[in-house]
Amino acid sequence: MNHSPRLIDMTMISRFLFGPFRPGIEAQRPLLYRIAYAWCHDPALADDLVQETLSRAWTRRAQLRDEAALKGWMVSIMNHCWLDHLRSRRDFDDVDDLQDELESAVESPDACCNRQEVVACVRAAVARLPLGQRQVLTLVDLEEFGYAEVAAILDIPVGTVMSRLSRARASLKNLLDPAMRQPAVRTLLRSVK
Amino acid sequence: MTPVVSDETLHAFVDGELDVAESETLIARIRDDKELAQRVCALRTLQSMVRLAYAEPPVAAGRELRPAPRRQFVQRCAYGCLVLVAGLSGGWALRGLEPQAVASVPVAAQSGFQTVSLTQAADPNRVMLHLDSAAPDKMLAVLDQAERLLDEAERQGRAMQLEIIANSRGIDLLRAGVSPHAARMARMTQRHANLSWVACSQSIARFTNDGEKVVLLPATQTAPTAIGEIITRLQQGWTYVRV
Repeated sequence: MNHSPRLIDMTMISRFLFGPFRPGIEAQRPLLYRIAYAWCHDPALADDLVQETLSRAWTRRAQLRDEAALKGWMVSIMNHCWLDHLRSRRDFDDVDDLQDELESAVESPDACCNRQEVVACVRAAVARLPLGQRQVLTLVDLEEFGYAEVAAILDIPVGTVMSRLSRARASLKNLLDPAMRQPAVRTLLRSVK
Repeated sequence: MTPVVSDETLHAFVDGELDVAESETLIARIRDDKELAQRVCALRTLQSMVRLAYAEPPVAAGRELRPAPRRQFVQRCAYGCLVLVAGLSGGWALRGLEPQAVASVPVAAQSGFQTVSLTQAADPNRVMLHLDSAAPDKMLAVLDQAERLLDEAERQGRAMQLEIIANSRGIDLLRAGVSPHAARMARMTQRHANLSWVACSQSIARFTNDGEKVVLLPATQTAPTAIGEIITRLQQGWTYVRV
């Protein structure tokens, strides 16, 4: 007997039967993917993280009491998935150490000229930030979470959120300084053409 | 000269974390201080660059293969058939089950409370109890019901959500200093994570207008109107019980 089609049928049926009650969970996919990508800069890994987050969110959906907090709740689940992944990837006793470690494998960005290059530059610069700073920065800048929300999601004090954000933006500014001065004018000129 | 504005303050300003008064003071300063304006501008630029960088994250190769339109169409048809079959067989199966389904919400059968649910089978895991009077026996009944339901759910290992909605005189139950059962309610809240208390803001406003000072118990939430809350919950599939 071939079991897999039946399994797919079952998930289809359960998705169909139970999906409509919490359409919010699946709807968070693009948002989660963007954050996950900004954290790890690896499309395949980001995809896995999102998948894992969605399935964990689904099994724990009863724990969510406030519909309005869905977004933050799911991102915090993803944070746990991400930390779990890091723990399994390298044998870190303490992930906190890792939070402040500089990921230096990525090359530093040079001057950027056009839009695609700006995008690549910024991504490279963000990838160079220590993990903790990267998480705070992406949550604040990409999804406009408040400082208190970020603190709750990552389970760190608000003061830490502010100092990490501050350091992240300072080093981003340094990394991107050459890019920031030129591109505004140049891209404008290009887009007119 | 006023002291230099710290980076942290500027970040908080750009991220909308400052309160109105603080923001206004800062905006006034930015207007006069060119250097400060430049710092804010640089921050905003940085922020928009980060946003731009992740506006369209690359998709993992080979992961998001979209099914061809034809296949999608076939899939939709399959879904449609599934709905039809599920509906028909569900209807047939539920034909004789109605009394049983209602009995699964034990409140209803026992003491003549009104139970309403939009779904055919009353959902025993999501129940709201509605209290609209301050009669001592009704208040007591609400708490007894709530505890009975929660305990039963716990025994059967179900994750149950229970909401107690109070309006009109019923909000006396949720008022600090007025509620005769405050200690018991605090104990219940502590024991059951999925128990919530909701007070109707409209009723509170009415009492406040009449010169009563309404202070709610710490764990209490408010909803704009009790009726609105009840309707929303019903639409989400909750079971409504009026005590």
